Amino acid sequence: MSSSPIAAARRRTELGLIVMAATITGAAYTLASLGQNAKIPPILVPFLLVLLALLVVAHLANRVLAKGADGTILPLAALLHGIGYVIIARLSERSAGLQTTWTFVAIVAYVATLIVIQRAADLARYQWSFLAIGATLLLLPLVPGVGTIKGGARIWVSLGPINFQPGEFAKIALALFFAGYLADHRDLIASGAWRVGPFHLPELRHLLPIAFAWGFAVVVMVAEKDLGSSLLFFTLFVVMMWVSTERASYLVIGLLLFSGAAYVAWRLFDHVKTRVAIWRNPWPQYQGKGYQIVQAMFAFANGGTGGTGLGLGSPEKIPVAKTDFIFAAIGEELGLLGTTAILIGFLLMIGGGLRIAIRSDRPFEKLLATGLTTIVGMQAFIIIGGVTRVVPLTGIALPFVSYGGSSLLANYVLLALLVRVSDSNARHLGETPNELTPQERLEAYRRRRAVAKAVAGSGS
Amino acid sequence: MNKQIRRLAVALLACYLILFVQLNVLAVGRQQELNADPRNNRQTERDFNRPRGSILAADGTVLALSVPTTRGDQFRYQREYPLGDLFGDVTGYYTFSFGSTQLERTQNDVLMGDTTEQRLRAIGGLFRGSETTGSVVLSMRPDVQQVAADALGTREGSVVVMDPHTGAIIAMISNPRYNPADVAVHDSKQAEAVLTYLNAQPGKPLLANAYQERYMPGSSFKVITTSIAFENGATTLDRVFPVSKSWLPPQTTDPITNYGGEACGGTMVEVFYRSCNIPFAQLATELGPQLMVDGTKKWGVGEKVPIDLPAPAASFFGEVSDFTDQLPLLAIGGFGQGSTTMVPLQMAMVASTVANGGVMIKPHVVDATLDHDGGVLSRTTPSVWKTPILPATADTLTGLMIGVVNQGTGRQMQLAGGIQAAAKTGTAQLNTTGPERSNAWIIGFAPATAPQYAIAVVLKGGPNDAISASTGGKLAGPIAKQVLDYLFAHPAPAAG
Repeated sequence: MSSSPIAAARRRTELGLIVMAATITGAAYTLASLGQNAKIPPILVPFLLVLLALLVVAHLANRVLAKGADGTILPLAALLHGIGYVIIARLSERSAGLQTTWTFVAIVAYVATLIVIQRAADLARYQWSFLAIGATLLLLPLVPGVGTIKGGARIWVSLGPINFQPGEFAKIALALFFAGYLADHRDLIASGAWRVGPFHLPELRHLLPIAFAWGFAVVVMVAEKDLGSSLLFFTLFVVMMWVSTERASYLVIGLLLFSGAAYVAWRLFDHVKTRVAIWRNPWPQYQGKGYQIVQAMFAFANGGTGGTGLGLGSPEKIPVAKTDFIFAAIGEELGLLGTTAILIGFLLMIGGGLRIAIRSDRPFEKLLATGLTTIVGMQAFIIIGGVTRVVPLTGIALPFVSYGGSSLLANYVLLALLVRVSDSNARHLGETPNELTPQERLEAYRRRRAVAKAVAGSGS
Repeated sequence: MNKQIRRLAVALLACYLILFVQLNVLAVGRQQELNADPRNNRQTERDFNRPRGSILAADGTVLALSVPTTRGDQFRYQREYPLGDLFGDVTGYYTFSFGSTQLERTQNDVLMGDTTEQRLRAIGGLFRGSETTGSVVLSMRPDVQQVAADALGTREGSVVVMDPHTGAIIAMISNPRYNPADVAVHDSKQAEAVLTYLNAQPGKPLLANAYQERYMPGSSFKVITTSIAFENGATTLDRVFPVSKSWLPPQTTDPITNYGGEACGGTMVEVFYRSCNIPFAQLATELGPQLMVDGTKKWGVGEKVPIDLPAPAASFFGEVSDFTDQLPLLAIGGFGQGSTTMVPLQMAMVASTVANGGVMIKPHVVDATLDHDGGVLSRTTPSVWKTPILPATADTLTGLMIGVVNQGTGRQMQLAGGIQAAAKTGTAQLNTTGPERSNAWIIGFAPATAPQYAIAVVLKGGPNDAISASTGGKLAGPIAKQVLDYLFAHPAPAAG
């Protein structure tokens, strides 16, 4: 096995950053357990160590499976994950134990994704399968007997002992479909068969799969009352259409479609009206539906600039603080400094993801990296904006930070795909040797044997 | 596509900048407003898990303190009030769900160690982990408070004892009263039940009636009327008022009578100690609305009593326009009837002013605030509120008030050991028709020549009850005597 200095440097950087993230997490954990309001028993320490070990495992997987990949996005995920874990542990001992289990599953999925998908380009071939998978996942919560309603939204699926949110995985499947489809058809779509005013519109049949996927996602989201995910899909589609076709008209169309859909949803659905009313002024409904958001505002104010200190605030006052409102809990105990750090963490991750997209010279991988980054960036914006009353609140998980298995698992798979694209860039740019993957080696071996057999056969 | 991706990066950056701005708004810009919101109990919750300093009486007796709770309690500290209901009006209560009152509220920062001064002083102890809570030391004496409480018994009313020269409140108690410990329980349902019960009680037990309520003063107000008359040259000690049973003031056909319908008259000295009503109605009428109203205002009537406790009440006499066409009202106001109402504390301040040569000192209960090491954060120094009368007038009034004790309506105030007191009684008749209701008053000070203590006692009478059937001298007098006798027998230990 040959190695390149660039790859080695990237992995060294990654290890160093992961150690830093782990140190910050460990220090935060210690502070939180010393805080008088927190109830973190010492039994959780092994769980923390397992969590930190798992992050190192992910790094080792990169060393073997994605040598040339960007060295910053995994440590950023590790830092966000670590801070989230400390807050979860500080809120609920039981959840912290479970979150460690989810971390284990997520890291296994991360490594598995890197093992299974050795060539990012291969994924493009399965675009229709991803559309089918995405559609099925989105529909699953609507199936009677399987879907369950939690917090007013029908986004959960119960299969025996396992509960999960298929929407978290659907977003990746749909990003894969869009990247594949648009990479193949972007020229046709962009060529603009007919014009309406300043807009070039493609032939309808090229738009049909996109429109279908988009309409499908929106309808399902409205049926499941999952406004946050709906907004996320909307943004994902519009952004990917725009980037792939390089036509701003898609942004305008997307914006118009969004405004129309938002207005219709507001007119038609009481729960949307309630959300908007609470967003505009939560105080009249302080005792009811506005309670959560008001408590979040109190939490930010109580935190102030420096925060109350870990374990010294009262984030347990915010309903569902460990999932959707974890950002408010961070705001209370770590203050403006802590929340700004989280924002910067996400911005750096977005920067890393989009840099991967820009470095790629193959449309599919470029679009895939763009789509995946948009998912993370927008999802974090939607929930942080919701908690801070920048946009109406829609309950979705804060990537890597919130408590929850589905979200963690899906986001680590997403991360693995980004890392894979990044590694692919390094190989294509010649930064690391473009070695054969084990699978390719196996195929080559088979082919050689077949040739040898054929030669031997003809020789006999 | 790279151009679009770069623009996407800029757009996302802009989104996050908006988030950053909003976080600043919430955590910094609106921080104070949100933290002060009554629906926000985070600060209180944090405070309940921190130690809190004590409130101490002048002799060091602990009136309010925080003790660590046993395991399993909602919070780490429980506020306790060792003397029960004796100081509830002054300390107030400190609750999680229902806020705090009185000194627990106004001195919160000192008690929590949150004043800037305390934080600066605590820097040295930052790494020693020492407590930084402050304490509040009162000028009040628990023994005198207890004597006053015992003297009041179960009767509704107030006793205020103060130092006329410094304004220091020595005792201040009101019936009905409540025990702040009952409200300070951590079980908020229980606390709510107690508060609901207390709010439903007659006589407003949650209110510090001694300074937050006002009562018709009756003849005790004649001290003020007389002072105005002397200051304006409307009378002399030798002036003789004819003996009469009734007198018809201007603008009415309804005559004014003396207490009990008696015939009453004589020199200024005599009518003062006998507490005839007609002479004071005549004095008020002679002075006229302008001089009377101006005169009462010099005494601070109409202004909130300037005590260092929250929400004090203001005494009431009226404005010139109230009396111009209502001279009979002015006439009866001259002997503290009609629309006149006085805060018990202010009546103690009236006695203090006479005792203090005409200078009215601001009353205070907080003597000093101390930091965690016992270092003084602040100490109350006497400050003048008003100068309603000249020293000469004060001397004249003292003489008149001595007469009340020696041969007048306030003979119950003749103190043990021959200490000469000066006083004025009052029996305010609350209704002219229907069941008899009256307030019994006495205000005074002792020793008359070198005053050390001023006192005001009021008992609120119910319909046809024992208080309403009696007089200020007979009922309030003995209470004042009991308290003053105790004070002279048990002078305050030297400040140490």
